[in-house]
Amino acid sequence: MASIETDIQGEAAAFEPTPMAVPAAVAGHTHFRRFTAFQRWVHFFIMVSFSTLVLTGMPLKYSDQVWAQRWMGVIGGVQNAGMIHRFAAIIMVSCVICMLGFFARILIKSKGHFWGPGTMVPNGQDYQDLKAMVGWFVGKRSRPHLQLDRYAYYEKGEFWAASAGVTIMCVTGAMMWYPQLTTRIFPGIILNFAIVNHSGGALLAMGFVVVFWHFFHAHLRPEAFPMDKAMYAGGLPLEEYAHERPLEYERRVREGTLDEVLVAPVSETRMKVQNVVWWIITGAALFLWAVFTLFVVWVTVNWIGSF
Amino acid sequence: MNLRAFLGTCLGIALLTVVVLAAPAGAVQFSLAHGANGRCLDCHSKPDLGTIVVNGERKSLTVDENMWHDSVHSRLDCTACHAGFQPREHTAKEKDGWYEQAKLTACSDCHADQFAMYSGSFHGNLVMGERDKRAPSCADCHGSHGIISNKSPGFRASVLHMCGRCHDEKSGTYLDTYHGKSFRMGAMSTAVCTDCHGHHRILPQSNPDSTISKQNVAATCGKCHEHASTRFASFLVHVDRSTPRSSIWVWLMEMSHSLLIAGLFLFGGLHCFMYFYRGLREGLYARGEH
Repeated sequence: MASIETDIQGEAAAFEPTPMAVPAAVAGHTHFRRFTAFQRWVHFFIMVSFSTLVLTGMPLKYSDQVWAQRWMGVIGGVQNAGMIHRFAAIIMVSCVICMLGFFARILIKSKGHFWGPGTMVPNGQDYQDLKAMVGWFVGKRSRPHLQLDRYAYYEKGEFWAASAGVTIMCVTGAMMWYPQLTTRIFPGIILNFAIVNHSGGALLAMGFVVVFWHFFHAHLRPEAFPMDKAMYAGGLPLEEYAHERPLEYERRVREGTLDEVLVAPVSETRMKVQNVVWWIITGAALFLWAVFTLFVVWVTVNWIGSF
Repeated sequence: MNLRAFLGTCLGIALLTVVVLAAPAGAVQFSLAHGANGRCLDCHSKPDLGTIVVNGERKSLTVDENMWHDSVHSRLDCTACHAGFQPREHTAKEKDGWYEQAKLTACSDCHADQFAMYSGSFHGNLVMGERDKRAPSCADCHGSHGIISNKSPGFRASVLHMCGRCHDEKSGTYLDTYHGKSFRMGAMSTAVCTDCHGHHRILPQSNPDSTISKQNVAATCGKCHEHASTRFASFLVHVDRSTPRSSIWVWLMEMSHSLLIAGLFLFGGLHCFMYFYRGLREGLYARGEH
């Protein structure tokens, strides 16, 4: 802790929380559980289905390109790709339904959670955080130590962007899956809109959420490099968490709810197995990131070149 | 007359009948396989025979023998279509106006039904009614020496290019649809030009008999898409997203999408690039900062 604190410059560092006595209800529970098993499984299935959707959808969007035609051959042609795409879409829709159920539970059960301090809803503090970060980026100030509660501004932004994106993709995808049913209610031009939105939304999701945002913040941001393990392991050491999200830590200590989210670290053997899996996932993620980044650069260059 | 003489006479008559009946058949067989066509190919299989201009298009005088043999029509005499041509250097009398005549009669001799449909079509009217030399007749779509069956995958694959020679813009917008994209990716069962517009009897949308007229378009879509309604068919197939002239609404949506993507990519790109850059400069990666 000490070495980290000396690295932090700027006024924000003054608000570093003073370490409080941890009211450990169960001995050995030294880790903060950031994500439940349910959330991590949903994340896993979204990750798999998203990648599958991208890999089976993008070659169709760029069907005039040689790489797309080659890749389409590898995955067994358009009809095959369409089937895999729809199958992956069902998995993603299931994840969305799970998430909706989860939100409903939050809204009903834990009153005040939605608008409270641990909220996903952007607020004034997020604006201040973004401003401080941009100030640091352009060299106007030293590196801020963000006083985060449960979610940082970049996580909130991504959450809402992804929510809007997945809604649009599911709705437009369903329209194209059932065009006869859709045109019973809407005029035919709705299918043209669906194509534009599905195709543009796919590029947006892939480029913005994956290349420029999610992968960056989960893997390549200096604090997380090479991978933020919270979504993978579920928990992270309490000190680390208290440093990263001081407001939530303080709040939980104040409210006496900290021991609700404290868990024991995983066993040595399990850690070893997990580490192998972890390196595989990280390697694959970084490889995909490089490929997607090259792809988005190529799209951007083409787009600019089209004027 | 004794029995022997009677049997001999019968045999003679039988033999004579066989010879009389079989001789022309044999002669025809001979002429088709080796005779007249061989004499044409004596010259026309040479690769350096030069070119002529037919209907404004420069064409080689050399006939690709393999292509010709593979085609359905290799059993026909050359002169079945090249009527009046003699096996020697062709005179102006043979050549002049032959193409204009042949494109109307050469195919219709055998394919009368198809030709009747074509005659009533938009294309047929252009050729025969308006004497438009650019409009397609049989050979422009089916080819000439290398005609292949319309059931063959090669023929189906060539349809887009075939129509695109004149309808360039339409084949471009077609390739922007799911049909076009998957057709180009090798899904040959996907609808291509002729599946919606018909083939021999193509009519403009304004004609009630057209496959894509208001009255018929739902049925045309319904060939593949069960329960397709007129509203289903009002989907804009040939829409160019890059220009407002095609459809102002689709263009607006496309443009707003492009702007949104450009804006968010720019913001996201700058944000993560600067984050990365600052992290590198301040040595955060080297220290394993968490």
